[in-house]
Amino acid sequence: MITISNLTVVRGGRRILDDVSFDIHPGELLGVIGPNGAGKTTLFECIAGLQPITSGTIRKGELFYMPDGVKPWPDQTVWWTLEIFGAMWGIPVPPLDYLNQRVSSLSKGETKRLDIALALLAPHPVLFLDEPFDGLDIRQVRATIEQLRDVARNGCTLVLSIHQLTDAARVCDRLLLLNHGRVIASGTPAELGDLEEAFLALT
Amino acid sequence: MRSLRVLLRKDLGELFASRAFWFTLLVIGPLVGQAFIQAVSTYAEVSAGALPQGLSPLDGIVVPSLGAYELAIMLLFPFVAIRTISAERTSGALKLILQWPVPVGAHVVSKLAALLVAWLLSLTAFGIAMGLWLGYGGHLSGAEVTNVLLGYTLRFVFTAAISMAAAALVPGAANAAVVVLAFTIGTWALDFLATGRGGLWQTLASYTPAAAVRSFERGLMRVDVIAVMLIVTVVALFIAARFLKIGSIVAAVVAVAIGAGSIVLASQIRTSFDLSEDRRNSFPAADERALRSIKEPLTISVWLSPEDPRMNDFERNILVRLRRTVPHLREIYPLEGRTGLFSDYGQIEYRIGDRRVMSRSTTEEIVLETIYALARVPAPPHSEGAYAGYPLAKGDGLENPSCIVFYALWPLTVLAAWRFVRRSPRTG
Repeated sequence: MITISNLTVVRGGRRILDDVSFDIHPGELLGVIGPNGAGKTTLFECIAGLQPITSGTIRKGELFYMPDGVKPWPDQTVWWTLEIFGAMWGIPVPPLDYLNQRVSSLSKGETKRLDIALALLAPHPVLFLDEPFDGLDIRQVRATIEQLRDVARNGCTLVLSIHQLTDAARVCDRLLLLNHGRVIASGTPAELGDLEEAFLALT
Repeated sequence: MRSLRVLLRKDLGELFASRAFWFTLLVIGPLVGQAFIQAVSTYAEVSAGALPQGLSPLDGIVVPSLGAYELAIMLLFPFVAIRTISAERTSGALKLILQWPVPVGAHVVSKLAALLVAWLLSLTAFGIAMGLWLGYGGHLSGAEVTNVLLGYTLRFVFTAAISMAAAALVPGAANAAVVVLAFTIGTWALDFLATGRGGLWQTLASYTPAAAVRSFERGLMRVDVIAVMLIVTVVALFIAARFLKIGSIVAAVVAVAIGAGSIVLASQIRTSFDLSEDRRNSFPAADERALRSIKEPLTISVWLSPEDPRMNDFERNILVRLRRTVPHLREIYPLEGRTGLFSDYGQIEYRIGDRRVMSRSTTEEIVLETIYALARVPAPPHSEGAYAGYPLAKGDGLENPSCIVFYALWPLTVLAAWRFVRRSPRTG
């Protein structure tokens, strides 16, 4: 469905992404893991068309990307934000327990839940989520994993950038390990074995 | 179509959530009120004096009342316009909405439409002032008011587009504000330096926002000014749209080059409409017919420095009118960029073919006589009466209702509206 071939991104003489190639298969739940500065966000933004690429090709269909750290329209209420987003796609506002709060007053976890709700409103067959569990407590992580699994079961392809290796292993069908802008390993969590050891050995 | 409606709803929602917008709305009332009250007081005083003839509400009331908007367009509205982009960029919302199924240009147009709503709401204060003026028994010319409002609206759109381009080009609202301020100061400098210099500088300076509005304030609707302002606006909006997503310097440079070429072409347009009630930008109809019959090129060399008041008189009373009437007019400013003493200083030379006349006069009658004699065209008889003007019949106690409206009711209404908008979270 999505094919990335020899993707290279150079900024200010520095190679952020270096000859990255991989495929994303329909319906899979792919996790992109890697240390800070590995190029995960740049990779996602290039695929979403929000950053220019230096060379390589990206073959893709419709997709929606939810960046990390987004606190959209802080002066508005959560309901307004969801309503505007839903109206764009013709989808009703999903239930959230803090609809009347202003976005500016949300905690980190509440903001992340709002971001995920916004992403899941998008009717695209492929969703890219940058750090979807960042700021969530254990219970919320568990609920979000279930939610994402449901979405994947309904045929949506999910590509997640994840910091926490345990979360990555729990939720993803396949993992892609990125370091210094290069893909250094990929496979199912079982194939990669002890993820923490593999991560430390390869990065 | 639904997507565009949602986009506009989102931008209007963000406008009404913006403190910059409410602050601008809050202060515009008292500013307009202060200017209007002062203008009415002066107008009433002059009306009661010995020489009320020729009093024009355009100069005496309309333009002074709109002075507050000049201040707002320069110093307040740019922040409202910058916020439409920089707030979404800072919060990350921009990355989300750029993935919506609408073209990037639609985002910019929708923001501009929301800003126009803000502008129209702010004009309510001017509307109230004009309503009070009519209530006082004052006179207004619909054509004059519409024309001057068009000029200010064009200036607003121009500034909004520049502000949005700045917000898209540079990171952070503060940096964008500095860029817009630098642009404004740059146009002031151009306006100041180029006055009376002639040539390219004067042509350029006549299209700065301040100079462009000045012609509307004199009741003149110049098609070239409208075209140039719209071209700059479109180029700025194009740059804003390009740099919202992935900026392309090449595309921006090409847009600026095409815009510059279009401006050169637009500056050749000579069509203009004198919408002033006293026809201040036109010679009497008989003179215009006579001047239009001059088929040979008329060259005027003005030996006056830009600072000389006679230069200003000659520009306002003669050149503006001749440009609209004489088919082939060429202006030369021999003192452009030169300093020193010149034996011909103060002279104005008129040349048609190999015939030339020198004169020092800047008065309409003498200049026209000179041109007719030179062109060998018979001077037409003058039959039009002078503009009588509209002195104000009653002048006492006019400040009180205006003070209450602009200093009390306006701020209270704006604050109440802001509170209502802030305190009405809806859950459908």
